[in-house]
Amino acid sequence: MNNEQAKFILRAYRPNGRDAGNAVFCEALRQAQTDPVLGAWLAREQAFDTAVAAKLRAYTAPPELREAILTGAQVSTSAARPWRRPAAWLALAASLAIMFTLAATYWFRSTGPVPAALDQLTRFALTEPLSAHTGPHADKLGAVGAWLENPANRLAEAPPMDLAQLKAQGCRTFSFAGHEVFEICFKRGDGLYHLYLARRSDFTVGENAELPVVLAQAQRSVAAWADQRLVYVLMAGGGAEAIRRIL
Amino acid sequence: MGSDTFTQLVDANYASLYRFALSLARNQADAGDLTQQTFFIWAKKGQSLRDTSKAKSWLFTTLYREFLRGRRRDVRITALEDLAPAEADPPAPEVDVVAAMDAEVVMTALQEVDEVFRAPLTLFYLEELSYQEIAEALDVPIGTVMSRLSRGKTQLRAILTQREKAARDNLIPFATQRLRGTP
Repeated sequence: MNNEQAKFILRAYRPNGRDAGNAVFCEALRQAQTDPVLGAWLAREQAFDTAVAAKLRAYTAPPELREAILTGAQVSTSAARPWRRPAAWLALAASLAIMFTLAATYWFRSTGPVPAALDQLTRFALTEPLSAHTGPHADKLGAVGAWLENPANRLAEAPPMDLAQLKAQGCRTFSFAGHEVFEICFKRGDGLYHLYLARRSDFTVGENAELPVVLAQAQRSVAAWADQRLVYVLMAGGGAEAIRRIL
Repeated sequence: MGSDTFTQLVDANYASLYRFALSLARNQADAGDLTQQTFFIWAKKGQSLRDTSKAKSWLFTTLYREFLRGRRRDVRITALEDLAPAEADPPAPEVDVVAAMDAEVVMTALQEVDEVFRAPLTLFYLEELSYQEIAEALDVPIGTVMSRLSRGKTQLRAILTQREKAARDNLIPFATQRLRGTP
């Protein structure tokens, strides 16, 4: 075994000495004891590894993460209706954590207060990955899908939504806090959007909910509003402008 | 598993799982999601694990699999391992220089190591796992782990050296500042 071969093996040798009895390292360690150059290299390697490990272990996890994990576990074991998608459950847990640590975690620019309860759905949308959609896209959802993808239409101007028809066409749905939410993925130009729809009666919606409220963070933006029948949450990648240009 | 036991499992592992996730995902939001998702899977499936002493290893393996599942694998990962061997002993910052660095700087440097090398390197440094345990957690051959550790350390040293040099070049000694400010 030459020194380069010994170094290759000894780079996997843990600095805490727990590998001292491992036969794989014995020959290389003996060589390091007899060869001063290799011995000095091993001492530097071990000191470097120790310093790096100490630095990495000093990196702390966000304090709200523990509570989010434990809260999520309680939700998952006590919910009367099962969540259809783990991602939805996780996103809600994450969004709850975000709600309590908003100032520290994210920088939001808001055009106004989001109505209570609808707020939860909005924040859920903020945490959903745009690429996560697995249901049929808008182009498979008939007239509603075509309306959404038509660049001449503005989302906040009474989109012709029929939940029963969407369901019959296989539109993806999931349970959010016990209420049915429809999710449609559609494109406008180069932009990809998710529209979440739910029955207004299922959510506590405040006054002036007909006016869209836009929330934006660095890589994601969301608009929320309601009409007489439905609540709408629109999510897009990018800043608030990506949302505003189709509202 | 009772809620107390689950809480103990979370307390014992969530921080190190988060650090592992952060090294892989390279952003805090995804790292938090990956960590939560791992415990969610544990809540659903992990209780069937008979040997509870392997819970930690199970969690790390699950997190890594979730990470791989959650993003598209690209050809670059395979190509990286086909590269010629790296420089055997690149220059490295002195140990006291590393010790003086912020933890965030070292973590960011680790995140810049290529992904195939980063996962074993993180388990080596953060969890002090042996090469056999890393091979088991990542489901790769032992020889591959040793190779990836060697290559990963080489990359990490090079990145830390660059960081240290950049920090040194940007540093204006106090005495120089005084001289510049003196009429």
